[in-house]
Amino acid sequence: MEKGLIALAAAIAIGLPALATGWAQSRIGSAGAGTIAEKPELAGIVIILVAIPETMVLLGFVVAYLIISG
Amino acid sequence: MIKEMLKVQIIGPRALLDEAVRELHAAAVVHVETVAEKFIKESEFLSKLPIEREKLKEKETLEKYSERLRNLKALLPPPSSHRPARVAADDIHRYMVDLAPFEERAKALRARKDELIEELSVINKYEKLLRGFAPIVSRLGGLKNFDITGLTLEKTREDISGLLESEVSRVTEGMFSIHLKDIDEHTLGIVLTYPRPYAPQVKALLSGKAISEMRLPDEYSEMTLIEALKLMGRRKAELPGLIDDADRELYSISSVWYAAITGVARAIDDALEEIGVLYYAAATRFAFIIEGWVPAEVYADLCERLSRQFNKRIHVRTLVVAASEQESIPVYIKNPRLIRPFEIFLTALSPPKYGSVDPTPFVALFFPAFFGLIVADMGYGGLILVLAAYLRKRFAGKRFFRDLATVFIVSGASAIFFGFLFGEFLGDLGERAGLLHPILLNRIEALKTLIVVALAIGIGHVLLGITISIVNHARRRHLKETGAKAVYLVLIASFLSLIAVMFGLVPRSVMPWGAGVMAVSFVALVVLEGMLGPIEFIEALGNIVSYVRLMAVGTASVVMALVANRMGEMADNMVLGVVIAGLIHCLNLLLSILSPSIQSMRLQYVEFFSKFYEGGGRLYKPFKKK
Repeated sequence: MEKGLIALAAAIAIGLPALATGWAQSRIGSAGAGTIAEKPELAGIVIILVAIPETMVLLGFVVAYLIISG
Repeated sequence: MIKEMLKVQIIGPRALLDEAVRELHAAAVVHVETVAEKFIKESEFLSKLPIEREKLKEKETLEKYSERLRNLKALLPPPSSHRPARVAADDIHRYMVDLAPFEERAKALRARKDELIEELSVINKYEKLLRGFAPIVSRLGGLKNFDITGLTLEKTREDISGLLESEVSRVTEGMFSIHLKDIDEHTLGIVLTYPRPYAPQVKALLSGKAISEMRLPDEYSEMTLIEALKLMGRRKAELPGLIDDADRELYSISSVWYAAITGVARAIDDALEEIGVLYYAAATRFAFIIEGWVPAEVYADLCERLSRQFNKRIHVRTLVVAASEQESIPVYIKNPRLIRPFEIFLTALSPPKYGSVDPTPFVALFFPAFFGLIVADMGYGGLILVLAAYLRKRFAGKRFFRDLATVFIVSGASAIFFGFLFGEFLGDLGERAGLLHPILLNRIEALKTLIVVALAIGIGHVLLGITISIVNHARRRHLKETGAKAVYLVLIASFLSLIAVMFGLVPRSVMPWGAGVMAVSFVALVVLEGMLGPIEFIEALGNIVSYVRLMAVGTASVVMALVANRMGEMADNMVLGVVIAGLIHCLNLLLSILSPSIQSMRLQYVEFFSKFYEGGGRLYKPFKKK
């Protein structure tokens, strides 16, 4: 039972930030696509902006790891 | 590295102005600036250089030439390879005269080609109709004194055909024949045949909305339908050949003249630039003044060159740079050849300010290191290296792609190095073959160690960024900023020391000291930076945790490589196994190029540069020939 709860907690810890990251990236990505259509020279910056929300899922990953490793 | 710049003033007799401008153009080191309005106003002898009427006329002529060449280039297909001809300014006019007949010919050919393409597209448009009508019309073709009219009818209004038949019968007194044929799923084709005297009545009848007479293009309008159909068939067969002929002739003009056209266009641009510089200059009755910026390292050469060329009649001197001008000093970035390719990372940002730090040397070290740490596979690293070396050779003439390929050559080598340390060759293939063994650690087993290593790298990288910022502000004597950044550094370091105590990495006796220093530095940061200080502190902690991606993305990559090997192993026969494993490895290789590049780049831009990079600079653009 306790093992299951730990696994569930870890899954939530990484799952929710992953969803949030995906949502944020979808918003930034669509805006970025529009930006690149008008100014292709900004492609580099847009790629970086899309990668920014990934920090959330990484934090989730660290928390999940801490939960599992006890 | 951002080079030191000097503000210079070039003074000489007005009689030598044109020659001096040409010499400065050839020297290619002066970033020309407008002589300051304030300086002109303060002097009773100085005014903006008046541009002579002849110069204005020359400028106008050159601009017209430039426009003509642009249009001509648009008409001609560029040859597969060409090198712009070297054209002297004095030869521009002669070239333009020589080019004139070819310009006319190219225009005529292009117009002819456009006409032919248009005709072909019209014929193609009618093709379906023609195919539908042709059999009927050819049967009726022998009827003398009869008119043949082709109609199309929307199938949704098919009911009209009966009505049409009765109406045509009425106006022609029953002397007509009607043939129906499906043209496509939406259109019905109708061919009406009737005695010529009834033509006006029939035409008047055919003005219904759903019925449209098949209108032929202008050049066919005087012909009967059958003549038009025959001619269209013939033209359709010969038009592609005629278009090819026009293309061939355009290409032959291009192969002879394209290099000259681009050479003349460059010479014109250069000549226009030389005239343009005059607008920046100032003059007294007898002398001219040109101001600009020159890299300090070439200042002596410039003085010597002008002095030798003009027998000391042109003088160059440096000016004191006012504090208000500091922001507008152009930035000249020059790095050693080895790390110059890494300057491409600056292209996505606005140039660094003069006096700030050029991050290229740091990127040259950390980008390949992070990339290698994430990929860390000798097989993938080797493939990336080979692919990048091929692309570097392939795009040797294009600087951006050549530099990008060089960056990946270094990054591939780094991946090979870390792959050796972690004992990875296409996942665990090297270890299975008994050729490799992890020297440092096994990435799958030592997750915790890898997280710690990634965080340690993050701490080092972020603190290095802050240290660079402190040194840079101190060098420029920005005392408040230096203090604020130093306190910021101490705050982060003291906080990290407390974390280290919590994890038992340092003795507990450090705790009171760490907490005390942290409290004092926190207050100092708020005093120096306001409420932004604590926000920056939290951001820096987030930045450090962000380096976990070095381990997370790397682990995902190695797991995928292991999956490729396991799935290959599960196949019934060896060939199939190799194919399956190969395909998954290819996918992983692609991801291993994309993802680590983006992640490593992001760590540079967001986590590292944000600590010290000051954008908003103005790039040094020397006055030089194209």
